[in-house]
Formats: sequence, structure tokens, C-alpha cells
Amino acid sequence: MNNLSIKNKLYIGFGSIVAIILLLLILAYNNFSRLTDANNWDKHTMEVLIELDRVNNASLQIQVDTRGYILTGNETFIASERENAEQLKQHIAKAVQLTADNAQQNERLKRAQALLATWADVNIRRQIEKRRALGDTKGAADTLGQSSELKEAAAIVSTARELMEQAGEEERRLLAERSAKSVELHSSQNNLMIGGGIAVVVLSVLIAYALARAILGPLSNLTAALSRLGGGDESARIEVTSGDELGKVSEDFNKMAVQLQAATRRELDLTNDLRRKVDALLVTVSGAANGDLTGKITVTGEDAIGQLGEGLQRMFDNLRQLLNNVQKAGIQVTTSATEIAASAKQQEATGVEQAQTSVEVLSTTKEISSNTSQLLKTMEDATAVADFTTNATSEAQGNLRRMDQTMQNMVNATDSINAKLAALSEKASNINSVLTTITKVADQTNILSLNAAIEAEKAGEAGRGFSVVATEIRRLADQTSVSTWDIEQMLKEMQSAVSASVMGMDKFSEEIRRSVGEVRQVTDQLSGVMDQVQKLAPQFDAVLQGMQAQAVGAQQISETMMQLNDATQQTVESLKATSEAVHQLQYAAGDLQSSVSTFAVNA
Amino acid sequence: MKVLVFHIGPDRYGLPLRQVRRVLPLLELKGIPLAPDSVAGLMNLHGAPTPVIDLSRISGGAPSRQHFDTRIVVADYTAPDGKVHALGLMAERVQGVHDVSTQELAPSGVQAAPFLGQVAGDAKGMVQLVEVNDLLPAELRARLFPAEVEAG
Repeated sequence: MNNLSIKNKLYIGFGSIVAIILLLLILAYNNFSRLTDANNWDKHTMEVLIELDRVNNASLQIQVDTRGYILTGNETFIASERENAEQLKQHIAKAVQLTADNAQQNERLKRAQALLATWADVNIRRQIEKRRALGDTKGAADTLGQSSELKEAAAIVSTARELMEQAGEEERRLLAERSAKSVELHSSQNNLMIGGGIAVVVLSVLIAYALARAILGPLSNLTAALSRLGGGDESARIEVTSGDELGKVSEDFNKMAVQLQAATRRELDLTNDLRRKVDALLVTVSGAANGDLTGKITVTGEDAIGQLGEGLQRMFDNLRQLLNNVQKAGIQVTTSATEIAASAKQQEATGVEQAQTSVEVLSTTKEISSNTSQLLKTMEDATAVADFTTNATSEAQGNLRRMDQTMQNMVNATDSINAKLAALSEKASNINSVLTTITKVADQTNILSLNAAIEAEKAGEAGRGFSVVATEIRRLADQTSVSTWDIEQMLKEMQSAVSASVMGMDKFSEEIRRSVGEVRQVTDQLSGVMDQVQKLAPQFDAVLQGMQAQAVGAQQISETMMQLNDATQQTVESLKATSEAVHQLQYAAGDLQSSVSTFAVNA
Repeated sequence: MKVLVFHIGPDRYGLPLRQVRRVLPLLELKGIPLAPDSVAGLMNLHGAPTPVIDLSRISGGAPSRQHFDTRIVVADYTAPDGKVHALGLMAERVQGVHDVSTQELAPSGVQAAPFLGQVAGDAKGMVQLVEVNDLLPAELRARLFPAEVEAG
């Protein structure tokens, strides 16, 4: 479908719509013609019926006329008898002719025709003849009415009428059948028109939609891509979905866009290459303008830019060579000047150092002589202090001896206290044994009082007084026991206190003994010190003499150093002048070097 | 009636004074081998050997402790055959003679041991009388006072 051309698409679309309409029209025409047929058949039946009615009418007219003549004998009644008979025959003939397509009906009507022809030509004639023959005789009508001719005629005509009635019935049945068919046809026609119409409309809309899609979709894609391309988007492409003219246009468009893009890219590449080369040249040249001559020019080639690059490269090489030479010369000058300046400075520094050294020596000498005199004074003081120390030490020795004596006394006293405490402890033990005895006595007394009480009780009334005494004795014994216990407790406390005192005294006397030993040691050391101090005095005298000799020597050194100092000062002055000249040379060389060094020549 | 009050454990008991001969301090007793536990030993009473019963022990308690007021009470023991023997009783905490009025005495109501008699209350608590004659069971009595030995 997609590969059909637009023309074919349009032909197929509209052609199918026309075909559907044609089909509908054919169906409708067919139905119409069947309706028309049905109508014709209706009309035909109606005609047959009308003819049959006319035959009836004519036969009835003939009967009425004949009956009138028979009754009255008046000839006017039968004046048009022949004419009516002719009409009757004519109508029945027409009816026979009309029913030629229906054999049964035709047969019936032919029989009726034969009967009616006989009836009209024979029977009616005979009746009329017979009445005419009777004339004006009385009861002619009755005679005729009773005659067989009349009855025969009536039978024939009724048979004919019955036949015709049958035919009429048949025709009406056919008519009903046909009208029912026609109604059915009509309704089917209606349905066809409505259904077909809707089908046609729906199909047409579908086809139109499909057509629009097939044609308008690719067209809008094409338009959008064109506008993107127009807006500068060279990557715009169209998806080729069909093989028709639009598909072809899309393919061509895609090819055109590809070529356009390629052309643009080529142009851009050329421009970029040119710019890059110019940029490289510019970088190197601007570096050179800032003093950097180390840049290499990489742009070469046969074109204008390439030749320009090569020329610049040659120029830079020459310039670099020149500057290199200048820089080397400058450095050499600077180095020489610096060396000279350094040696001059060193000499100057040496001179200054010499001057300083001589000054220092001078001041040191002065200090030595002043120190010596101070030392002299100090030595005198020291001698006096040594004498004083000797006296103080001998005094301290005496004091220490006295202290030693006191300590000895204290030791003796402590020993005697200890002995007394021991005696006290022994006494306490004695008291303890006495207390034991007292306790025993109290116990015995207790038992004694108990027994006394028992005896008194046994003695009865006589021992009553004795019993009281016994109780009292027991009470006393108990009290004694309690007191003894108390004394025992106190004695125990006393004994523990005494032993604590003894221990304390032992510790105390031990400490005193140690102190005495220490005091003796101090005394011995003091004696040693005193001997040493007494030996010091003659040594001090020897020192004093040596110092006086030193002071005189220092004065002589000081004078010599003054002379040396003056000479050194003069040397320093001349060295300073030399240094100044070298400095100026150094500045000049530095200027040259700095102005050249703004150019970098080595990579 | 007057009683000699002593202690068995924490409780106070009384010996009727008419049965007490005298009170002695705790003497050195001679031990009697193979004798029952309740017999503390044999003492010399003016030349006559006299058995000593430990009151604490015979009441089912521990042996009497030897305090300073633990005594030996010499009592008259009347045997069922009418003979009177001297019997030593070791008692703890012999406190002295107390007067107990006969109206205050009442039966204890509990018959634990045959020698424990009536009880009387006073300010310090209750005192139970000890019947010396019921103190020895028949077997012990037979061993302590055999029939052929005459009492001193």
C-alpha cells in the first residue's frame, strides 16, 4: 500500500467509493423494477375484475330488460337488447383475453363465455319470441313465467355467474397475495436505502482518513525537516516510510542534507586549520615580544602562512645567537668584578678585625690590672675572715664539750628512772598476791556464814540472833569480794601504765645516747676545720706578692697594643677606597646583565 | 521454810535447809573410774569417804563449771530402808539461804524428774524445791550405798 504512487492511491480510494455507490444503486433499481411489476400485476387484476363486473352488469341489464318485456309486453324494454348482448360478449371476450396468462382462469371464463353466448343468443331470444307470440293475451306473463325456457335460462345464467364469481374470487386472492409481496418489497427497499447509505458514508470516511494519512503524514514530516534545515540544523533527516513520490522526495532531501553537512564540515576544518596556525605563530611572536626567544615555530609549508613561519624562525635563530653572545660577555664581566670586590672586602674585614682585636686586647689588659687590685683587697679581707674563723671555732669547741657533759647527766637520770619503775612494778605484783589472799579469805568467810546460817536454823529459836549475825557476815564477805575485784582492776591498769613508761624511757635514753655521739663527731670536725684555717694565712701572703707583679706587666702590654691599633686603622682606610671603585664596576656589569637577561634564549 | 538456793543452768532451785548438813568450798575430789557421769567423785569428810553427785549433770545438763561460788553441799540422804547417809552435792552459784513461805508453794504440774518438787515465785523468778531422798535412782543408790556397808 505504502509503495503505491499518490495517483494510484487516489484512484483506488475514489474508485472504491464509486463502486460502493454503484452497487447500492443497482440493488435499489432492482427493487424498484420489482415494485413496478407488482403494480402492473395489481392493475391487470383490477382490469380483469372490472371486466367481470361489466359482464355481470350487462347480463343483469339483459335479464331486467327481458323480465320487463315479459311482464308488460312493451317493446321499449327490449329495444337495446341486441346492443347489451353485444356489450356482454365484448366484455367477456376482453376478460378472456386478459386472463390469457392464467390457464385455469381462462378456462373458467371461456366456459362462462360460451354459456353467456348461448344464454343471450338462444335463451333470451326464445323468451322474447314466445312473449311476442303470446301478445296481449291475458296471463301471458304468468304463462311465460311458468315456462321451462325461463327456468333453463335462469340456470344457465346462474352457472355462468358462479363461474365468474369463482374467477373473481381467484383474482382477489391473487391481488391480496401480490399486495403483501409488494409491501414486503417496499420495506426491504427502505432497509436497503438506510443501511446502504450508512455503509457508504462510513466506508467513504474510512477511505478518506486512510488517504489523508498516507499523503499528509509524510508531507508534514518533510515540512518539519525542511524548516529545521532552514533553521540551521544540518543533521535534520526524514524517515523514509513509503515508496511513493513523497518517499522519493524524502530520500532526495536526505541526500541533499548529507552533502550540505559534509560541505559545511570541510569549510570549518579549513578555517580551523588556518586559525590554529595563526595562533601558533601569534603565541611564539608574542613570547618573543615579551623577551622569550626560546619558542620554536612549527608552522611550515608551501603556502603563505608556511613561508611566513619559516622566515620568522630564521629571524628568531639569528636574534637568539646574538643575545647569547651578549649574555655570556656580561656574565664574565660580572664574575670578575665580584671576585675583585670579594677579595677587597676580605682584606678590609681582616683589617677591621685586627683593629678590633687590638682594642679588645687593650681592654682585656686594663681589666686584668683592675681585677688584680680588686683581688688584692679581697685577699686582705679573706685573711681577716680566716683569723675570725679560728677564734669562733675554738669557742664552739668549748660549748660542745659542755653540751656533751649535760647529755651524759641526762642518760644517768633516765637509767635511775627506769630502775625506780622496775621497783614499782615489783611492788604491784606483791599487792596482787595480797589481793589473792584477801579474795580467798572473803570466800572462806562466805562459806562460813552459810554454814553458820544453816546451824542457826537447825538450832531453831535459840539460833535466831545468830542467824542475823551470819547474814551480816555474809554481806561483808560479798562487799570485800567486790572491793577486792575493783582493786585488782586498778592494779592491772597501773601495771600496764608502768610498763608503757618503762618503754618510753628506754626509747628516750636511746635517743640521748645517739645525740651525744653526734655532738662528739661535730666537735672533732670543728677541730679539723680550725687546723686548716690556721694554715691558710701564710699562703695568702704569697698570693698577694704574685698579684702585684702581674699588675705591672699588664700596664706594659697595654701601651704596646695602642701603637699597633693606630697602624691597622690606616690600612683599613686605603682598603675602603679600593672597595668603592670595585663596587661601581660591579653595578655597571649588573645593569648590562639585567638588560640582556630579559631575553630568554635557552629552551 | 528456809531453803538453800543454787542454780542449774539459768534456773534457780532450792534445797530444804533441814536436810543440809553444811556447805564446803570446792575440794579436790578423787575420781571413781567406771562410775556413772553424774558421780563427780569421792571426798574425804572428816575421815569418812563420801560420794559427790553433780547436780547439773544428774539434771541432764553439762558438768558444773568451777566458779568461785560453786560449792559442795553435804546433805542427809535417807535411804528407803531408813538409814541416813551423808551425800555431797556439787552445785553452781550457791547464793545463800532464802525464806519461802509454805502458802506460796504450789505443785509444778509437770512431772519431769522424780526429785523435782513444788515451786514458789518471788521477785527474782521461780524457785523449785529439790527432794534429796528422790535424787538417786535405785541402781545408782545400790552402787553408792551397798547394803553391807554401814553409814558413818
